[in-house]
Amino acid sequence: MKIHVAYYAKLREERGCSEESLDTETATATALYEHLRNEHGFTLSEAQLRVVINEEFAAWDAPIHAGDTVVFIPPVAGG
Amino acid sequence: MFSLSETPLDLGMLRAATRDVEAGGFAAFEGWVRNRNEGKEVRSLEYEAYPAVAIKEGNRILAEAKDRFGVIHAECTHRTGHLALEDIAVWVGVSAAHRGEAFEACRYIIDEVKLRVPIWKKEHYVDGDSGWVNCERCAARGHGHDHAHHPHGHGAAPVQPAAYYARQLKLPEVGPAGQDRLAHARVLVVGAGGLGAAALPALAAAGVGHIGICDGDRIEISNLHRQTIYTLHQAGQPKAAAAADYLRALNPFVQVQTHPEKLTPDNVEAMLVDYDIVLDCTDNFEAKFLLNDAAIAYGKILVQASIYQYEGQIFVVNPHREGPCLRCVWPEMPDPGCVGSCAEAGVLGAVPAVFGAMQSMEALKILLDLPRQPENTMIFFDLLTLRTRRVTVNRNHSGCVCQSGKKELAWESHTGLELSWEAVEAAQGALLVIDIREEAEREAAPLDCPNLAFPASVFPLQHPPMSVDQRTVLCCSRGFRSRYLAMALRKAGFPNVYSLSNGLQSLHPTHVAP
Ligand SMILES: [Zn+2]
Repeated sequence: MKIHVAYYAKLREERGCSEESLDTETATATALYEHLRNEHGFTLSEAQLRVVINEEFAAWDAPIHAGDTVVFIPPVAGG
Repeated sequence: MFSLSETPLDLGMLRAATRDVEAGGFAAFEGWVRNRNEGKEVRSLEYEAYPAVAIKEGNRILAEAKDRFGVIHAECTHRTGHLALEDIAVWVGVSAAHRGEAFEACRYIIDEVKLRVPIWKKEHYVDGDSGWVNCERCAARGHGHDHAHHPHGHGAAPVQPAAYYARQLKLPEVGPAGQDRLAHARVLVVGAGGLGAAALPALAAAGVGHIGICDGDRIEISNLHRQTIYTLHQAGQPKAAAAADYLRALNPFVQVQTHPEKLTPDNVEAMLVDYDIVLDCTDNFEAKFLLNDAAIAYGKILVQASIYQYEGQIFVVNPHREGPCLRCVWPEMPDPGCVGSCAEAGVLGAVPAVFGAMQSMEALKILLDLPRQPENTMIFFDLLTLRTRRVTVNRNHSGCVCQSGKKELAWESHTGLELSWEAVEAAQGALLVIDIREEAEREAAPLDCPNLAFPASVFPLQHPPMSVDQRTVLCCSRGFRSRYLAMALRKAGFPNVYSLSNGLQSLHPTHVAP
């Protein structure tokens, strides 16, 4: 299935882009992040992030469907 | 009616003008010439007015008082020219059906006259000196300036609020009523750094009547590229005072109060109590979570923003509307390893400028009751792609502070985690000192005592070179990063690790990178 993924802050830096379209069979946010972490060597663990699915904060075990937008958000404190 | 008088006031006549068969009471205020001001012995004084505008503005104030408090007659006369000790300088009289309105209107009139009517006082001192003082109209309280250095000059026609706010008053949603709401608003800005330096001028110029600035830091050279209200020659000065000076020069019609100290669990309640809205312009999680918890506990609207390199987020916590809070997203304060401060990650000055301006906009939207986004919306704004993402925050975990209903601070302090430099010195080498600043910061201001270098940014991939039993103190420039790291290391099983309280800047203010 095709989904849309976006990265913020340190994840964007580590991925080298803000967003991308993916073809994936991962069923949950957790599985998707683990997959991406292995692929891109993200230094942040799932526990340090929040996941947003279709513009709403979601649980890590939330299912992912075709066409969803999944966003990974690290905490940010700069000012 | 408001009037100016070159001659001593006739109180009987003034009082008679307020008599009315419907009035049940009368309240008056008299301002007298006294013999001392700020430690100087005063011989006589002189009032100078800008008559056409003074009378117009004075009558506007009287009309407002009648409107606001429903009083029957309101009179005010101000002296001009030379006055001797004990002379009456200003007289306010109000008659009303009941005493409550009479007292309130009287107080309102004298406060507004002092603030808005263009009348200046020149004091002649016993020592032969003289000076223009107490220019409340310039909102320059405690900002002793002399005639020559006056920001707008007493000789020139003074600036009028209507002229100052002309473009903003044109907006149908603002108008005189909205401007009046802003004039009575009280907004506290915590952090006069990148975000604050943009938010503060926008609030002041819009006419937010009372602005508080909380910041305990001093201006550093490396701040200037993003904190553009400060100038090169102000390096080393306290930020709160420098920012206040900037705002006073920018808009003479607002009052600015400084709180030149770091926000702590002990002072946060006293700091917030006088304000309606708080802008979180801080740059560390500790302050952000403390402000979040305090806003919930003390019922203040909090406009929160954070930036990272080229992006940022903005979120309004509104306990009055039972909105969600920062802990609805991040129940626990995040660990040190996953966040980069501006010193570590870098920042382009325009980024905090954008987000600070957005924070002031949020405050103005609330104060003016303008249309706005739903309470539970967190905005993520990437300034590279200009993509805005509006994410809904659900108030969905029942243990959150915003749902506890408790009116006390949920914050846990970290007593026992911090050590002062005195304690470090007293340990006489028994403590291992680790400098956790980044390499460039260390090079710019090397620590002049035996220490190990371990940049905080490599944690948690690497651990600092220390043993479980070794008493160790971590140092960074301000004590935030070292505190995070010390907390994380304690969690990771190092009970003897401490953080240098307030960081190295408390030792050599000018020698430590921000
Ligand atoms: Zn909450």
